[in-house]
Amino acid sequence: MYDPAHLPKKILEIQQMHSWRRFTAFLAIAVIACLAIVMASIVSMAGQQTPAPAAATYRTPRTKDGKPDFNGIWQAMNNANWDIAPHNAERATLKIEAVIGALSAMPPGLGIVEGGVLPYLPAALKQRKENFEKRFAEDPEAKCYLPGVPRFIYMPFPFQIIQGTDHIAMVSEYKGALRDIYMNSTKKAPADSWMGWSNGKWDGETLVIDTTGFNDRSWFDRSGDFHSDALHVVERITAASPYHLNYEATIEDPQVFSKPFKISMPLYRRMEKNIELLEYRCVEYSEELIYGKYRKVPLQ
Amino acid sequence: MTTDKRRFRMSHKFPVLIAGTLLTAAVVIGQQTPATRTPAAPASAGTSAKAPAPAATAKAPAAAKPWVTPRTPDGQPDLQGYWTNATYAPLERAPANVTANKLFFTKEEYDARVKQAALADEAQTTPGTTGDVHYDFTQFGLDKSQNPFAQDMRTSMITDPPDGRIPAQTAEGQKRGRDRTAAYRTAGGYNQVQDIVLGSRCIIYNPPPGPPMLPQGYNGNYQIIQSRDAVMILFEQIGDIRIIPLDNRPSPPLSVRNTMGISRGHWEGDTLVIETTNFDERPQGRNAALAGISDNFKLIERLKRTGEDTFDYEFTVSDPETFVKPWTASMPFTRIKGPIFEAACHEGNYGIEDTMKGARAADAAAAKKPGQ
Amino acid sequence: MRIRIAAALAGCTLFLGSLPLLAHHAFAAEFDVNQPLKLTGTLKKWEMINPHSWFHIEVKGPDGKISEWMVEGGSPNALVKEGVTKETVPIGTLLIIDAYHAKSGENKAVGRDFTLPDGKRLFLGGSAQNVAPEKK
Repeated sequence: MYDPAHLPKKILEIQQMHSWRRFTAFLAIAVIACLAIVMASIVSMAGQQTPAPAAATYRTPRTKDGKPDFNGIWQAMNNANWDIAPHNAERATLKIEAVIGALSAMPPGLGIVEGGVLPYLPAALKQRKENFEKRFAEDPEAKCYLPGVPRFIYMPFPFQIIQGTDHIAMVSEYKGALRDIYMNSTKKAPADSWMGWSNGKWDGETLVIDTTGFNDRSWFDRSGDFHSDALHVVERITAASPYHLNYEATIEDPQVFSKPFKISMPLYRRMEKNIELLEYRCVEYSEELIYGKYRKVPLQ
Repeated sequence: MTTDKRRFRMSHKFPVLIAGTLLTAAVVIGQQTPATRTPAAPASAGTSAKAPAPAATAKAPAAAKPWVTPRTPDGQPDLQGYWTNATYAPLERAPANVTANKLFFTKEEYDARVKQAALADEAQTTPGTTGDVHYDFTQFGLDKSQNPFAQDMRTSMITDPPDGRIPAQTAEGQKRGRDRTAAYRTAGGYNQVQDIVLGSRCIIYNPPPGPPMLPQGYNGNYQIIQSRDAVMILFEQIGDIRIIPLDNRPSPPLSVRNTMGISRGHWEGDTLVIETTNFDERPQGRNAALAGISDNFKLIERLKRTGEDTFDYEFTVSDPETFVKPWTASMPFTRIKGPIFEAACHEGNYGIEDTMKGARAADAAAAKKPGQ
Repeated sequence: MRIRIAAALAGCTLFLGSLPLLAHHAFAAEFDVNQPLKLTGTLKKWEMINPHSWFHIEVKGPDGKISEWMVEGGSPNALVKEGVTKETVPIGTLLIIDAYHAKSGENKAVGRDFTLPDGKRLFLGGSAQNVAPEKK
C-alpha cells in the first residue's frame, strides 16, 4: 500500500523534482549503496582465512600443445582390485591355504564405489555370487587375461601415460596392457574388445574418456563383480597436485545394474628416480590353471 | 602428397575377384579420399626402386614441393602413426649374389619375386592334404601381397658387412646359441601345454618381435605414439609394446631383463637413436641369429623420417663376444591405415584348448583299440 | 654353420613372406584332414578376435534339428582396416563353408573357404586392390 504521507520527507522531495534530477538522485543513491555493500564484503572477507574457492583446481604444467601434462607413471593405492565395494578381509579355501597359507587371503578395503553398494539387478546379483564362489578358477586375472576398464586403472601395477598428438596411450606393467585413447575422433568400436574403444577429450583441466565396445569377459575385481557387453564407462581425470590425479568414473550397464554408479580414487605419481615399467608376462603362469585339465599325465 | 613414385606396391596383375561383395564396395567407396592423397591406381606396377645406395630415399620429381620433416609440438620429428616394415628384400644376400657382387635385383627379377610370392599366397591348397587344413589367408586379407609393403630392390637388408651377410660368430657365441636353443626348446607334442611352441600359446610370437624389428608374417604392423619423454611402439601381432624413455636415464642392472630388452632413446638431430640391452636369455624373442648374444650385447636402432609416408630404420648389432664384427641392416617403414585392433591373443586362444582336447580324444581312441 | 643356416632360413622366410608355417602344423593337429565337411548354416555371431576369428553358425541337420557350430577363420585385423565391423556380415547370413572337423569331435571346424549363397567368396577373393593410407 503506497501512502505518500508515510514516506520520509527526503524521498518526497526527490519525487517532486524534475525527472532527470530524480533519475540522477536515484542513481547516486544506488551507487553509494553498492559501494557500501562492496566495502562491507571486502572488510568481512579480509577478516577470514583465505578459503579455497568452491571448485579448487590445481593447474598442472602444460604440454607444448597446451594440454594438461599427465605424462608419467601412476598407480592406485587401494584394494579395489580385490573387491571394489567396501569389504572385510576374506580367506580363500583350506585347499589353497594348505599350499600358500596366509598369502591366499584377501585384505580389507574401504572400496571405491560411491554409496558402497553396486546396484545389481536381481539376476545379476545371483551371477555375482556364483562368480565369487568360483573366483579362484574364473577370475580373468588368474588366467592372465586383460583387465578391462576400469580395472586397468586400479590393478596393483604402475601404468604409464604417454600423451601423443592424436592419441594418449596408457600402458600397464600388467601384461603391457594397452589403452589407446583417441583424442580427435568420435568413431565407434569396429568390434568388441577387452579394453573397449576409448574416445577422449579435454574439458578444461579434466581428461574425459568415453569408452564403449567392450566384450563381456572381464571382471571389475577378484571378487566376481562383472559386466555385460553393454558396458559404458565415462572417466574424468584431473590433476590435483604435482603428485596425484583425481580419478572418477561413471559405470553404466543396464543389463547388469539397475542404474549407473560412480567410483573414485586418487592415482599417485610413482616418484622413484628412474621408475619404469618392467615386464610381467603372466601367460605362462596361468597355463596350468587353464589347460592343466587336458594333461595326458596329471601333475604329481 | 607429391606425385613421386611411391614406395607402395600398386595393385597388380591378378584378376580382381568378384567385385560384388559388401567389402569391395566399401573399400571402393571409402577410398574416395581427399585430393592430397594419391589413391592407389590399379594395374600400375611403376613404383620407385630403393635408390642404388644403401638406405637412400626415393627421389622426388623436381616440380614437387620440398618435403620437410613434420614435428611434434615438442619439436621432435614426428614418428607417430601406423606403419609396416613388410618388404620383399631378404635379410641376407644369397651366396650366388655375394659371388656376383649383385647389390640389387633388376626390375624384372624383383617383379618376378613379388609375383611368385603373390602366386604362392593365392595358390589353392589341395583338398585332403595337411596344407589344406587352414582357413585361406587371402580371404581375410592377411596375405602379404594384399597388404601395403615397401618396395626395396636390394638383395639384402644387411648393408654392413658389404657382402650383405651376417658375420661369423665366435666359438663362444655359437656355443651359447646352441645351448640356449636346446635349453629353451619346447618338447613338442600335446601331452602338456608347456610342450607346445611359444608362438602358438601367444607367449612370444614367431616371427619374433625383436628388436631388431624385422618383418612379421602377417599383421606385421606397428603403431607409434610419442611424447616429449617417451616413444611407445605397439606391435600388432600379439600386441607387444616397447616403451623407450628419452630422458637420458641409465640402464637398469643386468639382473633385470626383458624379452624385448630394455631400451634407451635420444635424438641425434632428426634421428631417433635407440640403444637396447638387458635381453632375456630365452632366444625365442629375437631373430635366430641372435640366440647366442652375450650380456654385453647392444642393439642400436636409428629411425629417421624420409618422406610423407616413410621412415628409414637401421639397426646395428654390436657384440664382440658373439660376432667377429658388428653388422648393420636397414629397411624402410611405410605408413598404413589404422586402426590396430586389439590382439588379446591369449584371451582368444581357443586353439590350444581344442588341440589338447583332440590329443586326449585320440589317446582315448587309441586306448580302446583291440589288441593294444 | 648352424647359425648361418638359421639366418639363411630366416631370409627365406622373409622372401616367401606370408604363411607362418608353424601355424599350419598346429592346425593339422587341431583339425582332422580326414574329416572334411561342408557346413551350411546361418550366422549367429562372428567373434572378431585374435589369433583367429570364429564364426558361430546354426546348422540344420537332415532331420531338421538345429545344431550350433564354431568355425575358425582368420584374424579380423586386416579387414578392420578396410572398414569391416561386427555389422558387416549380418546375423542370419547363410554361409557355405568347406571345413575340416575338429579332432576333439566337438561341433568345431576350421573353415577352408567361406562362400555366400550366390557363390561369392566372403570378404576378399584374393589380391584386392591396394588402398592408400590414411593418417590417424
